[in-house]
Amino acid sequence: MRKPNPDTPFDSPTPPRERGLLGTLANSAWPILLGIALAAALHYFWPLGPGWLYYKKVVLDVGIAIILAVSLNIVNGMTGQFSLGHAAFLAIGGYTSGIVTYYGSILLWKSTDLHGGVLGPGAWLFVFACLLGALVATAAGYVVGLPSLRLRGDYLAIVTLGFGEILRVVLQQTNPILSPDQLDSSSLKNWLPPPVGGAVGFNGLPTYTTLFWVYVFVALMLVVAFRLKRSSLGRAMISVREDEFAAQAMGVHVARVKVMAFMIAAFFAGLAGGLFAHESGLILRPLDAGFLRSLDYVIMTVLGGRGSISGVVLAATLLTVLPEYLRDFDQYRLIVYSLLLIGMMLLRPQGLFGIHEIWDWRPRWFTRKPQTRSPSNEKRGAA
Amino acid sequence: MTNVSTANRTAPNQASPTLLAVEGIGIRFGGLKAVDGFSINLPRRGLYGLIGPNGAGKTTVFNLLTGVYQTQAGRIFLDSRNLVGLKAHQVVAAGIARTFQNIRLFPGLNVLDNVQLAGQLHAREGLASTLLRTRRYAHEESEIRRKAFELLGLFGLQERCLEPATSLSYGHQRHLEIVRALAANPKVLLLDEPAAGLNSQEKLELAKSIRHIRDTFDLAILLIEHDMGLVMDICEQITVLDHGEVIAHGTPHEIQNDPKVIAAYLGADAATV
Repeated sequence: MRKPNPDTPFDSPTPPRERGLLGTLANSAWPILLGIALAAALHYFWPLGPGWLYYKKVVLDVGIAIILAVSLNIVNGMTGQFSLGHAAFLAIGGYTSGIVTYYGSILLWKSTDLHGGVLGPGAWLFVFACLLGALVATAAGYVVGLPSLRLRGDYLAIVTLGFGEILRVVLQQTNPILSPDQLDSSSLKNWLPPPVGGAVGFNGLPTYTTLFWVYVFVALMLVVAFRLKRSSLGRAMISVREDEFAAQAMGVHVARVKVMAFMIAAFFAGLAGGLFAHESGLILRPLDAGFLRSLDYVIMTVLGGRGSISGVVLAATLLTVLPEYLRDFDQYRLIVYSLLLIGMMLLRPQGLFGIHEIWDWRPRWFTRKPQTRSPSNEKRGAA
Repeated sequence: MTNVSTANRTAPNQASPTLLAVEGIGIRFGGLKAVDGFSINLPRRGLYGLIGPNGAGKTTVFNLLTGVYQTQAGRIFLDSRNLVGLKAHQVVAAGIARTFQNIRLFPGLNVLDNVQLAGQLHAREGLASTLLRTRRYAHEESEIRRKAFELLGLFGLQERCLEPATSLSYGHQRHLEIVRALAANPKVLLLDEPAAGLNSQEKLELAKSIRHIRDTFDLAILLIEHDMGLVMDICEQITVLDHGEVIAHGTPHEIQNDPKVIAAYLGADAATV
């Protein structure tokens, strides 16, 4: 009655056939190439009319939210380490990439205006900046991952929350942004702490974030998440979530797996931070490192289901689009979130899709035979 | 009766009969001596038992051997390699795998994945080849999967390999635990109460399976068990633990007639009756 799983051993009892380097490349690269093609299609076929500009922004936000929620899900969902500081990585990536594009543009082109089209030199500076931001965030992920080796559950949540809040306060103490004119006459005093705008936020960044780049990175995130989930490392992550002690006894290097999860998640959050910072109509502020933004993504992962990538994508989409339609009730958003969370905990604690993907799901009446359970199992369940 | 103190201090050659040499290990929790001066010499292909009343420290011995707790005294040698100071995951890699008294399968993984998790212990491919899905990675994964699937055949679990581990019956879950431990490719297998909760028919089959596993995988097995019938039936040598100390060691026949063992199980008076 079970759907044939591509992972079933019946399919491939023999080693895979030789493919050669090109074959391997083609085999491993096709999902990401497909993703790039789709992103390009989305970008170029998006209607130009002024009415569509608003929807474009919503779709951009959805993409960024997907990256953040899916990456957080690697830590919270797959590895079971409850992190409440995911937005901190977003801020680290955003601020780092912002420094590179803002001051880089001034140095290279004497202004912060956009330079070139979707694949122009400005865009490549932007992509480089995003990747750099992601790497800095990864380093931060390593640092934040370390406490997870000793702390569990609530305590880890508190530490990660503290990390985000500390970062928020630190960012508020930064120097004002230097305009191109001020840059020439700036001294070390202007650069320590870095001139990223303090409490006002890092405004004036070139708005390089386009549908194309956002969805290229969404594709990259999804490919990485799915490959991770169905790999040795993914299994190790799930085992750490389910039973750390047993995982250890089966040879899983628990410390390495946890830190790895934090680093991968931080990388993509940093990447999303770069996209977020360069989106038009948004200003990256210290507040974006804080608890409230982290909570948004936690709710997306909880709603989607721990470890269900497609579920989290759906939840991220819903929770980004819904507030747009309920603009008038914006101040009640947190109340709705709380009610939603309470409802989820009561009715479906495993999230919308639990550990399954959307395509695993089917109505209960569809399965013909109920699961047979042996009496001993029944007894155990009751105990 | 005891050859406990003749643990090999020098590097033994391959012909040495002792595979796992444990000498005077112990641990205290605060003022409580949970295990004190525990020694055992487990030969290749040996099938030894560890028994004792509840709270005697049997599982603590397993935890010491597998690196869950660090021993505070003594030494542990596996094939002349010192295991003291290794962490739990390193001990498994060195060749000691275990099952748990309370079944500890991973409910979020299916039957096959539970076994694959242990089988991927010696996997070499890193994060980059995982994400790039290189040929070497795919080959390694399919090897792990193939071996895991083969092992499931031991207890006829192959047909159910894609079901969630916790959907198996209790007896099958116990079997799966053993399979999972075997997937780590150990030299020594520690079984913690493998027969707990099984009916007498299942116990008979289990006894057969344990011997079969020892012979096919060329393992040394140490098992904790409360079912005396099973222990006396399959174990060549038995060590009896009481209050954290070894009170007897010998063949099943010797153990059954040891007054100290009888006293430990039935109280001091019973031994004199």
